[in-house]
Amino acid sequence: MRSKFEILVISITVIVTLILFLVIGSMFLVTTPQGFLESLFSSEFAYSIWLTIYTSLISATLVVICCIPMAYSLSRLDFPGKWFFRIILDIPMALPEIVVGIALLMFLGNYGIGGMLDSIGIKFVFNTLGIIIAEFFIALPYAIKMLHSTFNYIDTRYEFVSRSLGYSDFETFYKITLPLSKQGLFATIIITLARCIGTFAAVLFVGGGILHKTDTLSITMYLHLSTGNMDMAITAGIVLVIISVITIAIMEKYAPETYNQ
Amino acid sequence: MYLEVENLNVNLGEFHLKDISLEIERGEYVVLIGPTGSGKSVLLETIIGFYQPDSGIIKLDGKILNDVAPEERNIGIVYQDHVLFPNMNVYDNIAYGLKRDKSLTKEEIDEKVKSIAEKMNISHILHRDVLTLSGGESQRTALARAIIVGPDIILMDEPFSALDVTTQAKLTSLIKDIGVEYKTTFLHVTHNFNDVWNLADKVGVMKNGVLHQLDYIYKVFSKPANDFVASFVGVNNIFDGKIVNTKQNSVTVKLNDNIQIQSTDDEYCNLASHEVIGENVLVAIRPENIIFAKSTFESSARNQLKGKITKIEESGPIVNVETDVEGILFKGILTRNSFENLDLKLNGEVYLIFKSVNVNVLDSYNTFKLS
Repeated sequence: MRSKFEILVISITVIVTLILFLVIGSMFLVTTPQGFLESLFSSEFAYSIWLTIYTSLISATLVVICCIPMAYSLSRLDFPGKWFFRIILDIPMALPEIVVGIALLMFLGNYGIGGMLDSIGIKFVFNTLGIIIAEFFIALPYAIKMLHSTFNYIDTRYEFVSRSLGYSDFETFYKITLPLSKQGLFATIIITLARCIGTFAAVLFVGGGILHKTDTLSITMYLHLSTGNMDMAITAGIVLVIISVITIAIMEKYAPETYNQ
Repeated sequence: MYLEVENLNVNLGEFHLKDISLEIERGEYVVLIGPTGSGKSVLLETIIGFYQPDSGIIKLDGKILNDVAPEERNIGIVYQDHVLFPNMNVYDNIAYGLKRDKSLTKEEIDEKVKSIAEKMNISHILHRDVLTLSGGESQRTALARAIIVGPDIILMDEPFSALDVTTQAKLTSLIKDIGVEYKTTFLHVTHNFNDVWNLADKVGVMKNGVLHQLDYIYKVFSKPANDFVASFVGVNNIFDGKIVNTKQNSVTVKLNDNIQIQSTDDEYCNLASHEVIGENVLVAIRPENIIFAKSTFESSARNQLKGKITKIEESGPIVNVETDVEGILFKGILTRNSFENLDLKLNGEVYLIFKSVNVNVLDSYNTFKLS
């Protein structure tokens, strides 16, 4: 016999989850199977998927390469002004994505270093490079936060013992800290990839949202929604949902200690 | 001197190690004891190099270690909860330190691991996942991992705290054998007095980041440096008094108008009368040094006090008896057999008899007596 409290909390969980499921699922009902398949196999959509995967893989790789040393230094080491760096790195998480997008556009465009870079033939905005930069800055703070928590969770005495057995700090990091963080690191990689794939506002501003040029899946969805091409917009939405489901499934399967408990 | 720590200060924000000095000879087994939070573990982790001292010097075999990286100090550490690498099995945990030495072949490493595993009686678990080991097996593995690289000194942070009594006894015996075989120097921190009795050559007593006394066991237990050490090592009778007389290698301390106690504490007896008479002091008497009797008798014991029993507490094979002597409560211990033979009763009269040599006089300001 369940208590009233148990019934209450289970009911809230079930009702809210079902509403969420219905909201996401309703998208699948808007388009017809024919419209969905036509959109999915169109050349425009193929480009969008390719661009999304291509930019996300590059930006996620860059994020992981940067976030490992950054999270480690914030977790394990003391250095002057550490609190300042932590706050700066956390700010993008609290800001609306659109603000980060505008800030990046200003900095990389003609108001910032864009003019100078233009003169030497480098252009960071309204192209693929812009998308990668936008995705990088949006995903990096989340990746650092996740990996920082992972490193904090590992007992530093493992590292102490390793050092006492003759291993340097780098060797200890490579032989002990990193292997012990593998589940957290794996989760960070998956979340980072999902974050990069789903980045919208920053990509729109820095990439320019140009059809057939800088339209990742989320931009494709937005552009076609604004022109009334619902099949294309909904297909992009459905693909993004499928990517999310796959991400969550991978996380559930391979990072059980972090997410299943 | 092998390990020397001079005036070590470590500030960790909420916790400070204050002016710690200690010396350990090669091959000695030193146990540091103290209540939780006294700084014992921080001291070990500073010696091994995980915390940087704010001031002071750490020397090992004459070499200053302050700026030497932990991996170059050749000091091993064994923790209470073993801290075995969970991503490796028992074999790989033990072999971990050896694999760093590129001059060793795989066969040589294998031979060394199997040899030490045999000594530690863990040959049968070498393939096991460390998460499936018992406390005793884990601690043997941790010890093997520390010893196999031949450290100059092994630091032990409450290594037996998480183990049952039988396993503790077996590991104690094992560590004694290791000490003899490998001529290893040990610095062991604990809050368990059994570790002191069973293993220590010397014992140190710590509290609130201060090392109050470090000396041979009998000295610390029979002649504590101050009232904290006295009460921590079980000297339950510590009283305020004033020195009123000194003569013939004896000092007389007045506890109140009706009680005077004689002590042969050489530190005070050797001072001139005018230096000590009138000085406020503490006197400390271990409970086991008090003899209970129904009447006075001729003996060499210079202190014989009459009192009334106010509390009797039975605790297994011993009986704790508290006696009121002219308003001062003395605590004593008897075996159950002696207690029954004497037929002691609550509110009954009894004589407390103790030798002056067993009365320690402590500086009431608790300044250290250690040189």
